Amino acid sequence: MAMNSKSTRNILLVTALAAVSVLSACGGGNDKNNNAGSGTNGGTAGSADKEVTLRLFSNLPDRKSGQGLAEQMVIDNYIKANPNVKIDIETLAEEPFKNKLKAYMASNEALDVTMVHGGAELNTLVQAGYVKELNPAEYEGDTYKFLPGVYKSFTFNDKLYGLPRNSDYEVIYYNKKLFDDNGIKIPSTYAELLEAGKQFRAKGIEPMSMNGKDLWSFAAFFQDLVVRLTGDQNLMLDAVAKKKNFTGDENFTKAAELLAQARDTKLFQESFMTADYGASQNLFTQGRAAMWYMGSWEAGMATNDKLPEDFRNNVNVLKFPVVEGGKGKDTDLLAWNGGGYSLVSSSKHPEEAKKFFDYMMSADQWAKIVWDTGAAVPAQKYELSGKESELQKQLTEVLTGATSTAGSIALDSGTPKFKDDAQNAFGKFFAGGSTPQQLLADLQKAAETQ
Amino acid sequence: MQKVFNNKMAIFLFVFPGILLFALTFLVPIVLSAYYSFRDTLSPGTPSAFIGFANYTELLFHDSRFWLALRNAVLLGLGFILIQHPIAIFFAIMLDRLGGKAEKWFRTIFFIPCVISVVVISKMWLSLLDPTFGAFNKMLDSLGLGFLKHAWLGDSSTALISMLFILIWAGFGWGLLFYYAGLKGIPDDMYEAASLDGASGFRLHWRITVPLLSPVITVQITLAMITALKQMETVFLTTNGGPGDSTQFLAVYLYNKAFSASQYGYANAISILFIIVCLLATYLSNKLTRSDATEF
Repeated sequence: MAMNSKSTRNILLVTALAAVSVLSACGGGNDKNNNAGSGTNGGTAGSADKEVTLRLFSNLPDRKSGQGLAEQMVIDNYIKANPNVKIDIETLAEEPFKNKLKAYMASNEALDVTMVHGGAELNTLVQAGYVKELNPAEYEGDTYKFLPGVYKSFTFNDKLYGLPRNSDYEVIYYNKKLFDDNGIKIPSTYAELLEAGKQFRAKGIEPMSMNGKDLWSFAAFFQDLVVRLTGDQNLMLDAVAKKKNFTGDENFTKAAELLAQARDTKLFQESFMTADYGASQNLFTQGRAAMWYMGSWEAGMATNDKLPEDFRNNVNVLKFPVVEGGKGKDTDLLAWNGGGYSLVSSSKHPEEAKKFFDYMMSADQWAKIVWDTGAAVPAQKYELSGKESELQKQLTEVLTGATSTAGSIALDSGTPKFKDDAQNAFGKFFAGGSTPQQLLADLQKAAETQ
Repeated sequence: MQKVFNNKMAIFLFVFPGILLFALTFLVPIVLSAYYSFRDTLSPGTPSAFIGFANYTELLFHDSRFWLALRNAVLLGLGFILIQHPIAIFFAIMLDRLGGKAEKWFRTIFFIPCVISVVVISKMWLSLLDPTFGAFNKMLDSLGLGFLKHAWLGDSSTALISMLFILIWAGFGWGLLFYYAGLKGIPDDMYEAASLDGASGFRLHWRITVPLLSPVITVQITLAMITALKQMETVFLTTNGGPGDSTQFLAVYLYNKAFSASQYGYANAISILFIIVCLLATYLSNKLTRSDATEF
């Protein structure tokens, strides 16, 4: 019997050990893969001739067109030049990407390079110490050719934590054919925009498509109005930073009233509050809406052969119209740098990762490829290749003709909590619930409690 | 064999893996959740400060969105109990009466929504209720009811009602199936005896069916409350709590706080209150609907 209980004890011990090791293997599954992947590295990481596998996490799942293709081309170029490097790419669509990146941050997953969204999103990663600080001096000069002021959304407490890949700015895309066929004037002032909206609505055409479910576009639209009224790119950013007040300011009040006019004259499509990004884009690209308030990153629409030809030939760009009596010009551009890349602190191959990162960000890689393929407008100086689409040329004109830029979108210049609260305020406003004063009070509260 | 089961070590050996798994996947997360709910943190593992009950006081006394989400969940639960279940019982009785091939056909048809993926259901209703190209508004038009046309999910005044309708529709088949199974368990001679005594139609069912179904009803009411409280997928996929906050539900709110607003500690406080509310709802619905089991 004694023998028996001893053997059960042994069995128990073995089982417990097995259970623990199975569970720990689950938790660290990825680490294990990593070790296996870099097993041939033999502990001499950093040596250029040894095989290295880098892990890149990106929000561009479509590798055959647009920015995804551009990213893939950069990677292929790098691998060609460095045959000892393998690059594991994990890609997810926007929202799942953001969530998984947070999960990676929480578990300190050893990625090497990751795509990041500047502003509030990156701020979370910085606070958690997940991304590495960069030295801006290294990225000066002709290899990189970054435009001035593009680091704003990537800088926290005067330290740089990533590099932008695109210049983003808000414009109004419009379908010229719909304007021409219905004899409606292309608007250059806000009153004309609202008037065009009424005329389109009378004809049963949706005036302007809006991704209302995503909420952020409203904040950009509002920021555009504030800038048109005041000519001051910093007013709204200052309000988020609590240097000014949203409430009791006549410019904010006026802007909120103008926003209410857009709501009340039904400028946006009928179901705009349930339309997400894709839905609002479909409405526009199928020729059912005359305008679409969206960013420069949609330059590829004109060359995307999945869209109707009729649409591609008629899509044009309009600057956000001026407001009557406002101090702002139509060349004051709501431009910022949203997407970019960062180096991850827990990287297993820091030196190789940095090499790849620097290569990717050099002006003749990402910036050149993305411009030549018409996928986006880079944050670096680029030369016109002469093969640009009409839409690209118009977008370039908007950017090069800008007399001032915002540097950051107000929504992203606060904390993630501010972003959530502010978006919710706009949601309440557009769902019909609140007055302009109420909106400003909600924004004020969001800024104060962030 | 008997000896093995008398051996405490052996018993422990068999039970231990189960307990370990249960603890690691269930107890530990709850304890961790409680721990994080007292902290001001972006996500697990990031720097954080102990802030006591601050998250809870903020939630309970200053956060109108939390209360709105809770109210919506309670409304949904009541919708399930007062609208979905009576209809389900009615259809279950009809189905039971039908018999033959038709019974099997309709049983399948009613159950179809339950086997369709929630994503498909959400996208389907989003399209059906779309004001520009949705079939629902087109149908109203062709019926001459064009004045009723509406952005059903896009307007804060109708969004919650539309959402309740979708959820009640989607869960209808489950309710029906439970009641139908319960009905099949009621012996026919009960009805025969009752009709000999002169009961018929509605009275027959009120006096015989409903009391005999009461154990099923009790379970169903509890399940309805829990389902309503933990409602997430359909809301997340259709309106994400909007427009404004009109279709905000607890689980969606919790998710947004944790992963969009990066208020991880706050979201954990919500989840702890969430557990308490669920336990309370279960306790109350059991207490209120408890009846002596009917023997037959």
